[in-house]
Amino acid sequence: MDDIILSLQEITKVYDNGVFANRKVSIDFKKGEIHSVVGENGAGKSTIMKIAFGMEKQSEGQIVYKGKPVQFENSMEAIKLGIGMVHQHFMLIPSFTVAQSIVLGNEPVKNKFFVDYNQATKKATELAKKYNFEIDVKAKIETLSVGAKQKVEILKTLYQDAEVIILDEPTAVLTPQETDALFIELKKFRELGHTVIFISHKLNEVKQISDRITIMKNGESCGTYNACDISIEKMTELIVGRELSTSFEDIKKKLDNTKAVLAVENLEIKTTKKHTLNNINFTVKSGEILGIAGVQGNGQSELIQAIAGMRSFTSGSIHLNDVDISTIPIKQRRQKGLAYIPEDRMQDGIAANASISDNIISTYYDSPEISGKVFMKNKSIRTIADNLISKFSVKTTSAKTKIGSLSGGNIQKVVVAREYQTDPQLLIAEQPTRGIDIGSANFIHNQLIDLRNEGRAILLVSADLTEVMDLSDKLIVMYDGEIVAYFESTNDVTDKDLGLYMLGVKKQSEEEIRRAYRV
Amino acid sequence: MEQYKDLIFSASFFFVIIRVCVPLMFASMSAYTANLSGLPNIAVEGIMLIAAIMGVLGSVWTHSAWLGLLVAIASGILMALILAFSAIKLKTTPIMGGIALNVFASSFTVFLLFVITGSKGTTASLPSKVLPTIHIPIIKDIPILGEIISGHNVLAYICMITAVLVYILVYKTKFGLHMRASGLDENAARSVGINVNRVRFTSLILSGILAAMGGAYLSMGYLSFFTANMTASRGWIGIAAEAMGRGNFITVLLTTLVFGVFDAITNVLSLTNLPSELLQTIPYLAVFFAIIAYSIKEYNKKKRNNA
Repeated sequence: MDDIILSLQEITKVYDNGVFANRKVSIDFKKGEIHSVVGENGAGKSTIMKIAFGMEKQSEGQIVYKGKPVQFENSMEAIKLGIGMVHQHFMLIPSFTVAQSIVLGNEPVKNKFFVDYNQATKKATELAKKYNFEIDVKAKIETLSVGAKQKVEILKTLYQDAEVIILDEPTAVLTPQETDALFIELKKFRELGHTVIFISHKLNEVKQISDRITIMKNGESCGTYNACDISIEKMTELIVGRELSTSFEDIKKKLDNTKAVLAVENLEIKTTKKHTLNNINFTVKSGEILGIAGVQGNGQSELIQAIAGMRSFTSGSIHLNDVDISTIPIKQRRQKGLAYIPEDRMQDGIAANASISDNIISTYYDSPEISGKVFMKNKSIRTIADNLISKFSVKTTSAKTKIGSLSGGNIQKVVVAREYQTDPQLLIAEQPTRGIDIGSANFIHNQLIDLRNEGRAILLVSADLTEVMDLSDKLIVMYDGEIVAYFESTNDVTDKDLGLYMLGVKKQSEEEIRRAYRV
Repeated sequence: MEQYKDLIFSASFFFVIIRVCVPLMFASMSAYTANLSGLPNIAVEGIMLIAAIMGVLGSVWTHSAWLGLLVAIASGILMALILAFSAIKLKTTPIMGGIALNVFASSFTVFLLFVITGSKGTTASLPSKVLPTIHIPIIKDIPILGEIISGHNVLAYICMITAVLVYILVYKTKFGLHMRASGLDENAARSVGINVNRVRFTSLILSGILAAMGGAYLSMGYLSFFTANMTASRGWIGIAAEAMGRGNFITVLLTTLVFGVFDAITNVLSLTNLPSELLQTIPYLAVFFAIIAYSIKEYNKKKRNNA
């Protein structure tokens, strides 16, 4: 037992709103191992790691580090003891150099007050050399690629003498090559006696890199396994807790007389540096769900923002029911039948301090149904809100409750309910079930299928492959701002194959991709 | 036309530029040090005003110009600390705190003036001291250069030295690096253990000292007494110059200099028979157009990056 460096013992975390993020989670991390923590979004992986790093405080349970119980007031205390964390969102200052970023907070000094920049450069270079990182320490952060920025973050933890390095979803933003390079580095850390905690929901990666794997579900640990003893299938079963492909095939109606509702033609977004989107052509027909698969950051967000009217694009056109909506404002797009469930519900989906009913009417507040000439028709607003709350089984005491106080799943239900209420021609669902409980997710999936069966067009974007594969009728894959594959049916492709397209390893021919644009 | 040319291309014109630049430089450095740490100080104007009257009163009480300057600086620090405390500890927005201090300063100084002198105009009746003027040996005997550089108030030279010190502080020292980090990304700074609040408190104190010296210069050097609202928006011009420098200290100083030149032109042209009301708008028009030019540049840059 001596080789256990960090031990989390029966950690429970309850948020103020009564939501359990973790329930009696116990994990032991050994010295010199790569230990993965896997689970779906919202399974409590990030929370438990934030607790281990001192960013959040556990409600119950204790942390034992090198045999001694510790209580972190903030992450500085964790850093001092030798725990480092590479956050999913980098903590880097764009205008600083790599060397400055690495030494920041603990700079080498001369004459007490002055930063010794030569020494800083030297130390950073030595550190990079020791761990085989190829990086120009004099370069500015803003000029670096995402992969290189991550290297800087890792070097920061090493500079602070971290013995335990926590990496939160490090591969989500990386290209396959960068991921391979990262794995080589992580193995090097293991050789040098560091403990690497790897948080991910990509099972093949986890299987490939880890010594041991802890699986989490619904805020609880489902046990720790040796990587060699557990198959990917078994992991999937434990993580999802249900059969992998819950088939929606049976409840999907076959519809005739479909027509293209959304047509995107030659869409291009060009910035000074590169193409964010290039040569995007596809249609979504009535009564179908078109899924967009891809690793995050390959242009999906920009594409959706362009269609929803939240950003401009360089060239190309977007048609909704044969009307050109390329340049019209968001409100008019909505009046023409567009509905949008945004990726970031707290930022773009709701106004957290407003009530549920205010949020429910926020996208059509001026329709004659609820808005008189001067005053709002509060009675009809109330009726609409109450109906939707019961129809979507939103757990709340009243429609007047502040929406921000609800759980993620219930907030998302309100967002979906609002978009549903406008009876859209086209619904854009961007990560519609991210970070919410399985019950709510399942409910939302069924609502999407219902809309589809009523002959609406749905454009679904999700980082969750299972979700895309289960729900979609047709599928496109995006990589590096382009469509790299189109599938007539999700049965035409395996998960593994899809992965190759998503990572840019494979690409269909121009003609095959062209099929995505159907008239 | 000839007379304008003579007025502007003379040694005394350049002397005037330095003379009017001093309070603007102090103001923009004050705004700069605060903003760099991520806590904008829009109370520069108010702090200058308070310091201007406190310097005068201090010199009357202590019979010493230097002790008067110390009183002025102390009052500047106090004002800055109020701002820092309300923004950092009480979490008010620094803009609100700044507005409050500015409004307070413009009325309170007049109140003090009235209570002490019985007049609402100036402290000319008080036996206040003035900080000494320095004639630099050797340089003062060089033709033209001597006329321009020598013979300024001691605070003008302190201002120049301070500019060098601020540059060193920001770009060479550990504290300067922490200031920049706190201002650019608070969370990133915190994540490596920088005490952002402490950095901001210290930066605000510095900002207060700088603004106070600018204020003291006005009533104890530029003029020899305090007059109501004598800062005449110099603090705001400093803030405008700081905003246009976008975190680059040299640019901040150069922008301030441009504003100073326009101010000097106003000063010199007031000797002619052009209407003074019109002339006095020149520096403000300069700020106005500079900000427009700057916004257009920024807008185009943004557009290029986003399109």
